[in-house]
Amino acid sequence: MKSFESSAPAVEVRELVREFKGGIRAVDGLDLDVAPGEIYGFLGPNGAGKTTSVRILTTLLRPTSGSARVAGHDVVAHADAVRRSIGVALQEAAIDPLMTGRELLRMQGALHGLRATDARDRAGQLLERVGLTQAADRRVGGYSGGMRRRLDLALALVHRPRVLFLDEPTTGLDPTSRGALWREVRSLNDDGTTVFLTTQYLEEAEQLADRVGIIAVGRLVAEGTPDALKARVGEPMLHVELAEPESAGRARDALAGLGSVEPPDPAAPTRVVLRTPAGKGAIAPVIRALDEHDVVVESVEVETPTLDDVFAAVTGSHLEGAAPVEAPA
Amino acid sequence: MSAAREGRVVAALGRRALTVQFRRAQLLMPTFVLPLMLLAVIASGTSAAQGLRGFPDVASYLGFVIPGTIVQGALLAGLTSGTAMAGDIEGGFFDRLLAAPVHRTSLVIGRLAGTLGLSVLQTSFFLCIGLAFGASYPGGPGAALAAIALAAITAVGIGGLAAAIALWTGSLSLLQSIFPFVFVLLFTAPAFFPRDLLTPALRSVAEYNPLTYVVEAVRGLLTGQEAIGDPLSGFGAAVLLALATTALATLALKERLRTA
Repeated sequence: MKSFESSAPAVEVRELVREFKGGIRAVDGLDLDVAPGEIYGFLGPNGAGKTTSVRILTTLLRPTSGSARVAGHDVVAHADAVRRSIGVALQEAAIDPLMTGRELLRMQGALHGLRATDARDRAGQLLERVGLTQAADRRVGGYSGGMRRRLDLALALVHRPRVLFLDEPTTGLDPTSRGALWREVRSLNDDGTTVFLTTQYLEEAEQLADRVGIIAVGRLVAEGTPDALKARVGEPMLHVELAEPESAGRARDALAGLGSVEPPDPAAPTRVVLRTPAGKGAIAPVIRALDEHDVVVESVEVETPTLDDVFAAVTGSHLEGAAPVEAPA
Repeated sequence: MSAAREGRVVAALGRRALTVQFRRAQLLMPTFVLPLMLLAVIASGTSAAQGLRGFPDVASYLGFVIPGTIVQGALLAGLTSGTAMAGDIEGGFFDRLLAAPVHRTSLVIGRLAGTLGLSVLQTSFFLCIGLAFGASYPGGPGAALAAIALAAITAVGIGGLAAAIALWTGSLSLLQSIFPFVFVLLFTAPAFFPRDLLTPALRSVAEYNPLTYVVEAVRGLLTGQEAIGDPLSGFGAAVLLALATTALATLALKERLRTA
């Protein structure tokens, strides 16, 4: 059995296809690589194929064709080796509500081969890590959504996995619980754990992921760092609102050296729009330049492309249920 | 995967199955209360049967019918094993188990280990209740222990069948709907009457029902009369049933994984 080498991809997927009854292709020729130690954000709307992909990578589903290796092991031929290397927190934390957090952790320890004393100690450590020590001996049915998610994460960590799969870990959580989980994911990644995270939340992908893969109808339609992806659809824009429409010409001249000035919009005579890769960093130079040309400024707003813009650019529709947008020219 | 490691897995899953069983009131009712209710009805309503010609000479009628209660309990314990597994599948908990590096067979055996433990507790409870209400077990404590073991193996046999259905269908409601089938199995075996007193048609059916041999063996053990029931036949039927259905459940799991 091949051992996992640090230089080998933590996840390697080639032309992966999963077809369900009726010929529905949930995953349709997926290719991706995740480097060891990376947080990979797998972003897409409901039904895009995220969960099916994760279920294949975690050995819960067999691919129809193509190949996938996790931690250096083939998910079909060496499924058991994959299972030893991964931690899994699936969508809709499937946790027995009649058991306590501590009982579940000890059981999970046994499933991963820990002896009773080791499983007990590890359960204690993980409960403390995810802040559930006080609730450890309460039945999970009484936990809040955030507590269940944290317990689910702890369960996935019992055996110190090299690759952690988190399938929509914060869906339905309040902002506080979401923030707590993000901190924990970052901390795990700092410790060297590779994280494969599926999400439909743009902010989550932006905040957590080193690289983002955007999936739509079973295919990877874009991939890169969040900044690189956003740069693909255009540079940030500064919307400068002037006090007087007569100063618009002077303002355009003043800003010409700082980026690309958009043509005047007759409908907005007091607005000048500047495209610049500097984004927020251009605000001070813009104000200075306008001041030097005696232009009075009312306000400056920065509009940065989002991953939703990226999604819209590559698929023609918005990610979070927005109305379809025009396809890019 | 070492045997010791798999043993720990089976023990952990068995412990969890048993723990959940005692925390879910709707599972305790059919496994502990329902058989006693039927026993109360049978013992009070049909005790005159003891005077029929051909009825064995036993120390107490309650002691004669309690094996029927024990086998009913084993049936219900086995069935709840299937419903719990179907619940795990529907609720997604089974995926957590499948994602763990354990032998697939251990997942089935772990569930059945819980059924075995449940049946031991259940049968002990029924025997104690019987004692409290005047039943006697002339076979002695050793025979009672053997009866407990026999019931537990039978429960595993039924549990294997229920688990196989759960794994094939993944449907909790289907498992719940086959609940009445338990009574068909129970009443086509001489659970509360001697086989010789059953109608010829029912007697013919009873010969093909493995529970016939189990209930008669339990009865033979508790009464201390091998003429009433041969323990070896009972153990033979129970072990065969358990092996066959455990294999069936394992096959069902493999089929489920193959077609997943």
